Amino acid sequence: MFRKVLIANRGEIAVRVIAACRELGLETVAVHSDVDRECLHVALADQAVCIGGPYSRASYLNMNAVLAAAEITGADAIHPGYGFLAENARFAEICEECGITFVGPPPAAIRLMGDKAAARRSVAAAGVPILPGTTHPLQGRSEALEVASEIGYPVILKAAAGGGGRGMRLAFDHHELRQAFDTARNEAEKAFGDPSVYLERYLERPRHIEFQVLADSHGRVIHLGERECSIQRRHQKLLEEAPSVALNADLRVEMGRAAVAAARAARYVNAGTVEFLLGPDGAFYFMEMNTRIQVEHPVTEMVTGVDLVKEQLLIAAGRKMSVPSRRANQPNGHAIELRINAEDPETFAPSPGRVTHLVLPGGPGVRMDTHLYAGYTVPPYYDSLLAKLVVHGSDREEAIVRARRALDMLRVEGVKTSIRLHRRILEDRDFVTGDFSTAFMDRFLSKS
Amino acid sequence: MFKFDEICELIRLVGSCQVASFELEHGGSRLRIEGVARSAPAPANPVTPAPGAATVAVAPLVETPPRPPGPTPPVDGVEAVDAEAGTHRVVCPIVGTFYRAPNPDADPYVKVGEYVEKGQVLCIVEAMKLMNEIESDVSGTVVRVIPQNAQPVEFGAPLFIIRPG
Repeated sequence: MFRKVLIANRGEIAVRVIAACRELGLETVAVHSDVDRECLHVALADQAVCIGGPYSRASYLNMNAVLAAAEITGADAIHPGYGFLAENARFAEICEECGITFVGPPPAAIRLMGDKAAARRSVAAAGVPILPGTTHPLQGRSEALEVASEIGYPVILKAAAGGGGRGMRLAFDHHELRQAFDTARNEAEKAFGDPSVYLERYLERPRHIEFQVLADSHGRVIHLGERECSIQRRHQKLLEEAPSVALNADLRVEMGRAAVAAARAARYVNAGTVEFLLGPDGAFYFMEMNTRIQVEHPVTEMVTGVDLVKEQLLIAAGRKMSVPSRRANQPNGHAIELRINAEDPETFAPSPGRVTHLVLPGGPGVRMDTHLYAGYTVPPYYDSLLAKLVVHGSDREEAIVRARRALDMLRVEGVKTSIRLHRRILEDRDFVTGDFSTAFMDRFLSKS
Repeated sequence: MFKFDEICELIRLVGSCQVASFELEHGGSRLRIEGVARSAPAPANPVTPAPGAATVAVAPLVETPPRPPGPTPPVDGVEAVDAEAGTHRVVCPIVGTFYRAPNPDADPYVKVGEYVEKGQVLCIVEAMKLMNEIESDVSGTVVRVIPQNAQPVEFGAPLFIIRPG
């Protein structure tokens, strides 16, 4: 087992990883940019190193600086959290070369799943359903038109190097596709430095259902059930829950099996997430695999009782995962996570500034994952996630009521937050009945 | 808009003259800097360093309030600051290990009292086995060398105090 873990991240996830390290008796090293000196993860870690200027490129994305910090502090493992260097295969490789354990999957698995077209090829070969379309980058516009005629409109162009909703273009007919092709390539080039795009059938009103998987280096691959992540705006998730009202036990088994097959096809080790689109007819299709711990991992932790970050650390150390084999994927009760962002609830504009007053809710079934404290200044350089309010109830109804009362107890003053938006979503009739798709937020926002 | 360098310079100034807060409006931009009175983070649980955690001392930035916030600096500390009024600090541009000489047997690049030219190499900061030569960004006399030889230094850590001239 390694002894000292450097956390190459900031914010709530850095605090979350420190918590797991402490419970395992591991020392921790925080790294931070010069504007993050007063961050909670810096105060909580055993050691802290300033690694660069405020822009991520100079600090949290700066591989040399992160590795130099590991070197001078004697850290023998690096946990990348999510975002920043978490899905950078080259970084994982360099860690390996330096004799530092990267707490995440092998570089080859990151690379495979980072190439979205190759990932489609790989999982399709393993028998996982994918949406009709191409599994190779398109050669040109005429090939796009040809494939679209074959599979039928609407279709969506996606960046091969992409993910997370960037560089996508939707087309409902030949004319639109002809126009979208060059735009999509340009966007992909700009966003990812690679203009390759592929095409697939566009599924209207799907649900976004993802499966948590865990794999250890002893050959065990399991799934821990699904997360329902359809409540999103511009592909940014706002609220997640587990289990999904759309899945029955049979479908859970079937999708879980597909998720495990996708992970096995990538020779995956560590925690990962297989994302699916689920149609209204119950047909599901592989979308992509995220090779990191997810923001929304706590909802799975709440319904399974598994500490995913601790499992990540144990697995990275070459241990067997500690999850008991019986029914780990059978959800116990219901969990909901609300992402509290520093943004205007109407315009969604980021709202950096000083948190002047803070009251965090508690009580039965309430968990707060946050780096906030009264007096903390939210800097404008990073993402706007301030806190994750996670509730657990014996069923969905109790979880919703609990989420409402916890939100009412939460006070964040000094910056604008998404608290009010969440309060309204929790009252929405379609949300309460569970009748929604990824189109929910568009409808919800146009209504108000 | 303020330039990043300008903001850094202002923070330095405010930090050096014990002002509680400072506000400036210029060209439609507003800047507020809170000085010595600002509060340090108060974690729910006090930080208890793990055994052995103190083996590596990372040189902190001078303007950072000590963690946890300590009493006001001792009198000789204040005098030292006064003696260095009007001086320039060369800060570390990268994380790494500070070396005063090109190799263990060599003389240090510079000593206290020596005159250095702008662009002259002052020290080496080693990061990932790369030796990075750190040059002086002013011409002047070396007043103080801050880190010990072979000490780890972080981004922004002060390395040298130089009296320009």
